[in-house]
Amino acid sequence: MRLRIAGRSVVLDRASARTAVASAGQMLRAEVASQPRYLRRWLAALTIVAVLGAASAALTVPPGAEVFGTTPPFEWGILIAAYVFLVVTTSGLCLVNSLGMVFGIDRFKPLEMRHVVLALLFLIAGFGVIALDLHYPLRLIFGVVLSPAPSSPMWWMGTVYALYLGILVFELLANMSPYQRLAHASCVIATGFAIVAPTTLGLVFGSLVSRPFWQGSFAPIYLILTAALSGASVLGIVFVLVNRLRLPGHGPDADAVIVGVWRLLLILLAVVMGFTALRTVLAVTVGTEAERAAVTALLFGPLGPGSWVLRVGVGLVAPLLILLVPMVARSTLVFAASSLVMIGMFVDRFGFVAAGQIAPSTAASGIVAEPYAAYSPSLAEIGIVIGSVALVGLVYTLAERFLDLSSPGGRGDVHGVRASLQRKMLRRTLGVAR
Amino acid sequence: MAVSTAPSAAELGRRALAFTRRRFLALLVLLAPGAAAGVALWPRDLPTPPPKSGGSTGQPGSSPSPSTGIEASWAFGVDTTRCIGCGRCVEACKLENDVPFNPECNRTWVERHAVAADGTEYVDSPEAGIDGFPTLSTAPGAATADIQRSWFMPRLCMQCENPPCVGVCPVGATYQTPEGVVLVDQERCVGCGYCVVACPYGARYLIPAGASSPMGSAGVADKCTWCYHRVSDGRRPACVEICPVGARVFGDLTDPASPIQTIVNTPGVSLLRADLGTEPRVYYVGLESEVG
Repeated sequence: MRLRIAGRSVVLDRASARTAVASAGQMLRAEVASQPRYLRRWLAALTIVAVLGAASAALTVPPGAEVFGTTPPFEWGILIAAYVFLVVTTSGLCLVNSLGMVFGIDRFKPLEMRHVVLALLFLIAGFGVIALDLHYPLRLIFGVVLSPAPSSPMWWMGTVYALYLGILVFELLANMSPYQRLAHASCVIATGFAIVAPTTLGLVFGSLVSRPFWQGSFAPIYLILTAALSGASVLGIVFVLVNRLRLPGHGPDADAVIVGVWRLLLILLAVVMGFTALRTVLAVTVGTEAERAAVTALLFGPLGPGSWVLRVGVGLVAPLLILLVPMVARSTLVFAASSLVMIGMFVDRFGFVAAGQIAPSTAASGIVAEPYAAYSPSLAEIGIVIGSVALVGLVYTLAERFLDLSSPGGRGDVHGVRASLQRKMLRRTLGVAR
Repeated sequence: MAVSTAPSAAELGRRALAFTRRRFLALLVLLAPGAAAGVALWPRDLPTPPPKSGGSTGQPGSSPSPSTGIEASWAFGVDTTRCIGCGRCVEACKLENDVPFNPECNRTWVERHAVAADGTEYVDSPEAGIDGFPTLSTAPGAATADIQRSWFMPRLCMQCENPPCVGVCPVGATYQTPEGVVLVDQERCVGCGYCVVACPYGARYLIPAGASSPMGSAGVADKCTWCYHRVSDGRRPACVEICPVGARVFGDLTDPASPIQTIVNTPGVSLLRADLGTEPRVYYVGLESEVG
């Protein structure tokens, strides 16, 4: 069989296929060998964890497979927490980026290209995790379109996040093109989605009369606030590494971003701490009995140690103190604080999801869970969570290595996409036929 | 002659920014009424229940009350003063509806509430009460407590007038029949568990995988249907049929001769968590405390 590919005539038979595979293997080996050692090790570690995650994911594929540790009283486990963590971080990345692209603060302008790649990866990883938690994800995709249920906050969330994904893909493509006005416009729209999306996610929890801890306006506001915190932290980590590893865009631009993130983290940490304290005090003093039971579980019950040590200590107080340490390079402080915030944020997401269910006011499906509903994430669930984060890290590392993410349009234009489009525009402007 | 000068980069940036803000606000203003109109006008088609028996689905259509000819308004009564905690209702439900014989999967169950001298209430339901109850409560701390009184409390779906589980389903897989029974279209359910979390009465579960799963619909939501396939046929729910002491009563509120009238008109009859506004249609007689 003979095919014409990219202007060349290619013969397709077994021998040529074998040759093609062998040469592709050689190229891959050469490519890997040409990478710095630290990068090879980093990629290898991420690949191993991502493969473990994929193996865990494969276990969940048969519908109803009993690989999760969830029970009727505690139906939403760590995968829901991971989904919230990942997709809310996407919103946070867009919110922080909007400071530069929408609101014109110069020091945040270099975020554009990196933020959109990260936002897409976090969102796709979030979709992957929720698809594994659902028993019939394809039914959801078709069902949302063919039998819409606008009374359901989850329907709104699914629809908004699907549109958000489309906008982010468009924003990425626009950023890689010379059409910067399109990139700018898509960034503005993505900023709107960055607020609307966590709001709908918050409503998924906040609209449940059966779960007083979640119910109310707290959840949407809290998710938007903490979205900005986790988004700023991810960008803090990435831009410190950009400078340390001398990636494209390092130097004064990245320095400016790091200072911006430092300030932003200080403000957001203080705001989130205040908001968390207010919420807790209100729940304990004027909340319902069920609300108090949930907050008690979060403070002094089974969720207490994780809540105090990781959520409050590691995730809020320690980063705030670290950021205020004098005489240490700001980038070091931002990197350390951002890393701790991300750990704390994950624990916070789990605490949020768990606290709504841990102190049920009724038996569920014959299970009397008093005083607390039990839940231990299974190995498969943990594998999926860690694997999804590793996959984000792996793909982003490859994007940093093989694409120029330093600025909108990419100065290096690794694949020639931008140059090609520019030539096309120039021809059109000059009226020159190809 | 006027000379036009090229605007500076800063000027261009400022213009672009101003344009974007306006566009952004205009977009929000345009989108908001559109979204609101979309929500208001969106057609909602109630799914037609597939003609299966045993699962959460049942026969379509409503049954007129035989005595009055008015569309039936079914209700359920539970007399806790009569229940002896034998668990035969739990077993009958599982057999009638192919509910997995798994302690975590129950459309109905029986709880025992025991109140100690200091007012502490202990609740237990070993294996959902399917094999009855041991003499002493199995609830943590109850063995050493000075129990003063106790009673059995059968639980099932409340078939609420305003069911939280129906509104939250993202694909409309959960719906109400004209008689008000809440069913699940198991071929449409995505298994997200939102309805399980949303139900204030814990009446739902996701069917686990394996041989114990009825009708091969593992991973989807399942719940009590008041044996819709039976009651549509003029019979009583399996748990009512099997109850040896008449603690469970099913009937039509529009029928003055229905046995449910006795329960509904009993002094002190109560509803579970009426404060939530769900308007449950299971009436309890003899409840001694607030039960969730």
